[in-house]
Amino acid sequence: MGKYLIRRLAEMILTLFLIATATFFLLEAVPGDPLSERADKLSPTVKENLYKKYGLDKPMMERYAITMKGICVGDFGESFVYAGQTVGGLIHDRLPVSARLGLQQVILGVAVGLLLGILAAVKRGTIADYLVIALSVLLISVPHLIFGLLLQKVFAGNLQWFPTIGWPAGKDLWFGGWEYTVLPTLTGCFTYIATYARLLKTSMLDVINQDYVLTAESKGLSRARIIRKHILRNSFIPVITQLPMSIAMCITGSFFIESIFSIPGIGQYYVTAVNNQDLSIIMGETVILAAMYIIVLFITDLLYVAIDPRISMTGKSR
Amino acid sequence: MAALTPDKFKIIGYTQEEANRIDRPTISYWQDAWRRLRKNPVAMASLVVLGLLVIMVIIGPLIRGYDYESMNVMEKNLKPCAKYWFGTDNLGRDLFSRIWVGARASLVIAIVATALKLIIGTVYGALMAHFGGWVDEVLMRIIEVINSIPSLLLTILIMMVLGNNLFALLVALSVTAWCNTARQVRGMIKQLRESEYVYAAEVLGASPVHIIMKHYIPNMLGILILDTATAIPMFIFTEAGLSFLGIGLKAPAISLGVLISMGQQNMEFYPFQLLFPCLVLCIIVMAFNLLGDGLRDALDPRLRQ
Amino acid sequence: MSEQKPILEVKNLRVSYHTYAGEVKSVRGVTFSLNKGEAIAIVGESGCGKSVTAKSIMGLIKAPQGEIKKDSEILYNGTNILNYDKKQWKNYKGGECAIIFQDALASLNPTMRVGKQIMENLMGHKNMTKKEAQKEAVEMLRLVGIPEPEKRVRQYPHEFSGGMRQRVMIAIAFACDPKILICDEPTTALDVTIQGQILDIIKGLQKKNDTSVIMITHDLGVVANIAQRIAVMYSGVIVESGTCEDIFYRPRHPYTWALIQSVPRLDLKNKQELATIPGTPPDLLNPPVGCPFCTRCSYCMPICKEAMPEATDFGNGHTASCWLHHPMAPKVDMPALKGGE
Repeated sequence: MGKYLIRRLAEMILTLFLIATATFFLLEAVPGDPLSERADKLSPTVKENLYKKYGLDKPMMERYAITMKGICVGDFGESFVYAGQTVGGLIHDRLPVSARLGLQQVILGVAVGLLLGILAAVKRGTIADYLVIALSVLLISVPHLIFGLLLQKVFAGNLQWFPTIGWPAGKDLWFGGWEYTVLPTLTGCFTYIATYARLLKTSMLDVINQDYVLTAESKGLSRARIIRKHILRNSFIPVITQLPMSIAMCITGSFFIESIFSIPGIGQYYVTAVNNQDLSIIMGETVILAAMYIIVLFITDLLYVAIDPRISMTGKSR
Repeated sequence: MAALTPDKFKIIGYTQEEANRIDRPTISYWQDAWRRLRKNPVAMASLVVLGLLVIMVIIGPLIRGYDYESMNVMEKNLKPCAKYWFGTDNLGRDLFSRIWVGARASLVIAIVATALKLIIGTVYGALMAHFGGWVDEVLMRIIEVINSIPSLLLTILIMMVLGNNLFALLVALSVTAWCNTARQVRGMIKQLRESEYVYAAEVLGASPVHIIMKHYIPNMLGILILDTATAIPMFIFTEAGLSFLGIGLKAPAISLGVLISMGQQNMEFYPFQLLFPCLVLCIIVMAFNLLGDGLRDALDPRLRQ
Repeated sequence: MSEQKPILEVKNLRVSYHTYAGEVKSVRGVTFSLNKGEAIAIVGESGCGKSVTAKSIMGLIKAPQGEIKKDSEILYNGTNILNYDKKQWKNYKGGECAIIFQDALASLNPTMRVGKQIMENLMGHKNMTKKEAQKEAVEMLRLVGIPEPEKRVRQYPHEFSGGMRQRVMIAIAFACDPKILICDEPTTALDVTIQGQILDIIKGLQKKNDTSVIMITHDLGVVANIAQRIAVMYSGVIVESGTCEDIFYRPRHPYTWALIQSVPRLDLKNKQELATIPGTPPDLLNPPVGCPFCTRCSYCMPICKEAMPEATDFGNGHTASCWLHHPMAPKVDMPALKGGE
């Protein structure tokens, strides 16, 4: 167990190192440099100082070493575009915003999706089943980009039930300003509802046909108990595998939502940084998001072991 | 019952053909899959819708005879009318023509990206499965590293490096997508190679070509068809999203994503400019999704009865 | 035969499955009865409907694919179980009647501890508390010969070997002392060396609890070991039934002849070629009007293709459905085994 954790930890660090390296060289390959626009109007000496300040005067390999060293101690440097803005400060300000948006989406979406999935599987062939199928096809086929725009137009624009843009801040950061979060959360959770309803239904129907469900039935157990103890637990295995994908989606999928509703989250800032060629910010955010993602993947593996006794901790991880 | 006469009680035994007769006609996997797909009204309807869409994408811009690029300042932001079925945009361009040209671009991008994904994924997966050992290990690690980055981040990074053009978009879209295909192909080949029927075919002296044609390809085709049906709508999604964020294609190049993002700017006053491109996008994606569902049901051998 | 009232009577059982291709008539009018403490075997090749019969008795035929036809009757102690309400079913399944399937690995829930799978049954039918059930589960495992049962109850099915898993299945089935035990090919998936052990356990528990057993198998060796009476099934109907002795030494149906001849024998002196039955059984999608075996029968007559033969009674409960026993038919005896005795 301890050995396994150490090995996984080493693997995670190595992966992160590779990602950081790849990102660094990718960014190096971007034509032009982020300062050229600002520097053009400046005198040569000021320009030189500016380049020196951001370390762009040094050769590539040296900058690589500096960047990697910085990452090791959690210092990603300063924004190239907005003076004084550090990656650390940015994450501190914006991560909670994105985290709340993401969590609200996933919790609502997965919960509703799983309930609908159970309903569809248990009431197979009835109207309820067909409604769930139709709903999930609809929800999966309409990109949340479009949902966001439509919801915004109808409920914020025409009906004025909710504010069009914005997000709670200050003391409302986590628990408050709900009216601002309703539309973005709805927009994001539709995909999860559809994905999980379909996933759980398919998986449950698969399990229902297994012999051990027949065994359970031959014991004269109540239907509720068969579903709870025998069908659901086994059906959850593919759901668990899907979860990291959802977390990843909730990190990056919110990019669109943050853009539509002008939510000051990390996604929106990432897009801005890309458009501004703000190298240090991009680097920092990429590494931090990837690190979060890797940790989520790891947690999923642990969950997997917990739910399926056939998979041992020390065996193949995935 | 007919009368019982002595001649009905003569032993005649059985004939070999009669004993071996199999009443149910044998149908191959593909015939059966096609038969089941055809019986699925939703999937067939999607197929028809997709056919119509393809036709519209080809001839749509020609129907009204308006150039999708030429502007007409006198007729901007018109509501849908007899002259302009879907209205015009803020530069007085015919939206009907623009939407079909945009849809064409979106579809082509999605199809090419899917082709790239399949080719790279299949070759990569086959290499992994064929060489095994440390090659497999290293190649698998590469996939794991790529999969450890949220794919949208990587896509955006690639777009940044290569600029806002079609080529960049294709590379960016397929750069992460092939990993999944490669994994599936690898798993499938490994499973097939260890399966007893392929082993049996080898022992019986079947040539490698025969084994590849008769066992590997038919088995993998199912996976790849499904992969295609799910990848195309996904790519259409991503393309639209990127263009919307201003990271994908940029005007004057058009695609559904570009049209949607332009529509959003005028959403307050001219909602139809947003509505129509959204509608077309949704129809395309929904048709592909429904067809994909139908294919999944049709190709799943466990459902064969 | 003693004239006691049978514990289970199956009358004209007909079961169909609705598939893509159409209605498959898996069981087409099966009738038999089972006495208390008796073991009967239902023998036949795969697809002959024996498993479907077992599932029907256990109440496991599921709509909408599976359908038990209207006038079928399954009488348990005189009441038709097909008319049971929810509560009666709950008591009957697992409490009165239990089943053991062929593939123990697939039949055990992979994510539930073995002990719990036994306890479920006990808590459902015997109103035991968790503690009592736990104790009883250990006892059950000990009873079926699993070493270190205290440790084993806490393990998952994949940690058991094939034979051990089947023992667990037996423990689950016998947990509530059922009156009827259905064994659906319980030894088919096992090594020959284990098969005997498993049968011995079943036999031992049957004697101890005076359980009636329905043994479904295609292995005549298993039948000889355990059953007092045999029903030979072919293509959804019982073609011959009788005591073990009658079926093995005085079989009357050509299909039974063929079945017996296709058993490898070690007791014959000369080397014999293993007899096989040519061809395949008819498709139950459109079952034949006549005798279903006629396309593979060496003694087929024109009448066989036209009408289903009636059952002929040979006394002592021995019946066979074959036109050869019609007074107008030529007299035919079972062919002698090649190789001599």
